[in-house]
Amino acid sequence: MSRLLLMGVLILGSVITGIGIAADGEKLFAFYCAQCHGSEGKGDGPNVTGDFPVDPRDFTETAEMNKLSNADIRNVIIDGGPIADKSPMMPPWGKTLNDEEVDALVQHLRKLCNCTGKAD
Amino acid sequence: MKTAASAFLGLIVLVLATGAARADGAAGKEVFEGSDCQSCHFTQGPATEKTIDDQLAKMGPELWYAGSKFQRPWLEAWLQDPQPIRPMKFNSVMEPNPGGHPALSVGQAGSVADYLMSLTSDVVEAGAVKVKKKNLKGRLIFVKKMPCSGCHQFPTKKKFSGGMSGPSLVGAGERLNPDWVLAYLQKPKVFKPVKMMPVFVGVLRDKDMKNVAAHVATFK
Repeated sequence: MSRLLLMGVLILGSVITGIGIAADGEKLFAFYCAQCHGSEGKGDGPNVTGDFPVDPRDFTETAEMNKLSNADIRNVIIDGGPIADKSPMMPPWGKTLNDEEVDALVQHLRKLCNCTGKAD
Repeated sequence: MKTAASAFLGLIVLVLATGAARADGAAGKEVFEGSDCQSCHFTQGPATEKTIDDQLAKMGPELWYAGSKFQRPWLEAWLQDPQPIRPMKFNSVMEPNPGGHPALSVGQAGSVADYLMSLTSDVVEAGAVKVKKKNLKGRLIFVKKMPCSGCHQFPTKKKFSGGMSGPSLVGAGERLNPDWVLAYLQKPKVFKPVKMMPVFVGVLRDKDMKNVAAHVATFK
């Protein structure tokens, strides 16, 4: 009985934590990323005017996003575009976001692309 | 005797000037509070925001360090004719700035400018940024190496260029104190602990930040 109770608490805890991270990821994305990538992640944020020198990634492009591992995404969030030979228009967020926040963003991007990406 | 008289006169002028400034600052505070400016603008520092929700709860830019941030002549003029500085609504990356900031009369603007210029931050080091006509190193960082132009409009030969989510930097040379721009880059948590702009501490060196601040100071 006590084992069952413990298992139930663990499962409930995982579900709650999962929801918490997903909610944070969405909020973090809206606050930090949507300005360039758009609120739905299609790469069409308000900064993408005719002057913007590159096309911010469209996170809903499943095939393209599937080519990236979670570590690839993490690296670009933390160190910026140049770490992956991409534009410096993608800033390094590693001094702004903590590990948990970066992970939450990666999870949110996986939701947007509806993909899991290649293995790390 | 002449020296003593001059010193006495100087002292009287200083006392009068100090008294006048104090009176105007107090008058400006009355106008500020009477106009309910504090319902959108924080004048109490230091910043206490810890979460995105804390930041989003704010209705307008914090002004508790306005005297370190702004240049007095610009501030006084802007208060009389407050045109939008941010292309987007404060705290929003989706809604355009609707404008409509209340304007003050000439007299009110002078008093409120006095008050706001009295609100300073002691982390802003006067004279830390040496402004010249051009700063090519700062320009290179601003336009090429770092993503500053992605979010901030800035002046170009064709008028202006740049992104929409941050405050426009067109005219920043007249609006912002370059020493504050440097302090904002060096110690962002002091001024705005949670913000949409990335933290560049540990990314840019101090001298790079000084060059960027000096470059921004050239923006007409």
